[in-house]
Amino acid sequence: MLLLKLAFRNIFRQRRRSLLTALSMAGGYILCSFSFSLSEGSYSNAISFFTLDHTGHVQIHMEDYLQRPKIHKTIDDPERISEILDARENIASHTLRVFAPAIAYSDTDNTPTQLIGVDLERERTTSTLEQKVSSGTYISSGLDSDGYYSAMIGAGIANSLNIGMGDELILISQGADGSVANDIYIVGGIVGNRNSLDKSTVFLPLQAAQEFLSMTGRVHEVSILLEDENDSRAEAISLQAELPELSVDPWQEVELTVYRSMQADKQGNVISLGIIIFIVFVGVLNTVLMSVLERTREFGVLKAIGSRPTKIALMISLETGLLASMSMFAGLLVSFPLIGWFTLYGFELAEPMDVGGIVMSHITGELSLYVLGTPLLLIILFALLISIPTGIRAARISPTQAMRSN
Amino acid sequence: MTSAKTFLRNRLSLHLTTSRLICTLLFSSLFSNLAFGAERAIEIIDEMEALYQGASSSATMTMIVETPQYERTMEMEASSIGTEKSFIRILSPRKDRGIATLKLDMEMWNFLPKINRVIKVPPSMMMGSWMGSDFTNDDLVKQTTLTEEYSLTLEETDEHFTIILVPKEETVTVWGKIDYIVNKEYMVPVAQNFYDDNGEIIRKLEFSELKDFSGRMVPSRLEMIPMNKEGHKTIVIYDKLEFDPPDVDESVFTLRNLRSRF
Repeated sequence: MLLLKLAFRNIFRQRRRSLLTALSMAGGYILCSFSFSLSEGSYSNAISFFTLDHTGHVQIHMEDYLQRPKIHKTIDDPERISEILDARENIASHTLRVFAPAIAYSDTDNTPTQLIGVDLERERTTSTLEQKVSSGTYISSGLDSDGYYSAMIGAGIANSLNIGMGDELILISQGADGSVANDIYIVGGIVGNRNSLDKSTVFLPLQAAQEFLSMTGRVHEVSILLEDENDSRAEAISLQAELPELSVDPWQEVELTVYRSMQADKQGNVISLGIIIFIVFVGVLNTVLMSVLERTREFGVLKAIGSRPTKIALMISLETGLLASMSMFAGLLVSFPLIGWFTLYGFELAEPMDVGGIVMSHITGELSLYVLGTPLLLIILFALLISIPTGIRAARISPTQAMRSN
Repeated sequence: MTSAKTFLRNRLSLHLTTSRLICTLLFSSLFSNLAFGAERAIEIIDEMEALYQGASSSATMTMIVETPQYERTMEMEASSIGTEKSFIRILSPRKDRGIATLKLDMEMWNFLPKINRVIKVPPSMMMGSWMGSDFTNDDLVKQTTLTEEYSLTLEETDEHFTIILVPKEETVTVWGKIDYIVNKEYMVPVAQNFYDDNGEIIRKLEFSELKDFSGRMVPSRLEMIPMNKEGHKTIVIYDKLEFDPPDVDESVFTLRNLRSRF
């Protein structure tokens, strides 16, 4: 108790020195937590962007459809799966899709496309497809008065076929039974722009696509959106147990290459974060070391009047720890609202980025225990760590020599 | 090959006039024997290839496509003049009714009635599947004329002729070798085996169930079996085959007719 009192007294006796040390630590902390927030924020942005764009958090396929897509690898009872998924609490929504390559024709031109049949109602709540419609409307699933289904086409197809709203789109492909799939659709909407990921995709109502491909009632993919993105692996495992005949994969498996490059990028980021932490540590090391070396004479006197070396070492560690904790508290007072603002509003980009039809106008951060807590613990631990050798050094000092020095 | 024959004949007459008779006879018989083998092979192949066509023909057939995933049956009618012109139209199932294929010489078009469009089959698609079957577009078009683009060797057993076709150097083909087996008694094809460049068998076409079609004995059942795709098979059954029918004339083999709704 006496030691604690002494430590407090020492901190406040030299206000200017303590303030400088505290400032260096608090400043370092704010810098660290801010860089953590930026790096985490940009990843969660990217993840939520493409999971919402098309992958969802968990996907269900037949066998190895994911690795080797074949039109006949279908899920034959999507209604049953929908029932199971609707009953689960942590699933926000899900959607059903079919895929096939096709050739699109207008009167004069043709172009290869990727055909995706989507459950329009479910897709609305599962992906950002509706927000990506850049002209026209989000189509409805029924037949029009002339008996044609509507289609939404990527901007690239509209451009290369030279067609627009209300025009005829002819699709030719191979059906699941080997027959020639061919039909006419009316363009009801255009998706994204010419740089979007969907630029050469044709979206059809699920039923229209199933009829086109002679695979009524069957689908290739079930895409699931969870309440919490972080549950994707656990949810995939638990769903897999319930649906042993199908393969259930979290987005990390579905988008393996994206996930891997993201992990690699994150590791690269660890290095730059490491450098920032290192710079902060050097600052802390410097101030802590100076505050001890400055007081050689004081420690000499303490020893001369009979202080035990361990007590001196302990006192120095206590001093440093107290100072570090106080500066972290001050740093937290600044960085919490700062990162909070950064997460909610972010920085406005000079030029809005268009990623696959979704406009990203801000860079935002992330506010979490990890972002605030990790640098805090790191700095306190490091301050304590460097206080140990300096404390030992002070404790070992010989009183006569110490008192002779200034 | 015909030029070789004339050449031999010329040589023969030349020798006769120079009255070196014995020597000449010896030589010429030796050459003509060799020439006769290849020539007979050409004759046989030509006969086989013309078997289903005649001068002109019309046929009704059933095609059954079997794969591990599905089985599909199509009924179709086909007409042809010689080997250059043919026209096929699908009668059933209802979904595919009216889909038609026209072949003129080396070119091929498909008509899809639902979208009312004629689509030319590009050369790159010639080895592609016809209507999802194991027959290629090239099998229908016969763009490669066997007797012109392959070197032929004839082998004979008591029951069968086996003609081995090896592509000539300048021939563009995916096959390294084709065995053409012919039944001697009825002079009908029994099987065709297609090999790749490594001598591995890629697919088999088997002919069976001889049937009398207007006086000709013709195998009525064809089975195409790709050896590299397990569980896949396409069966063609001739239900009706008429030779020189009155309703088949040049007007059938036009793009205009192809486009006509049916």
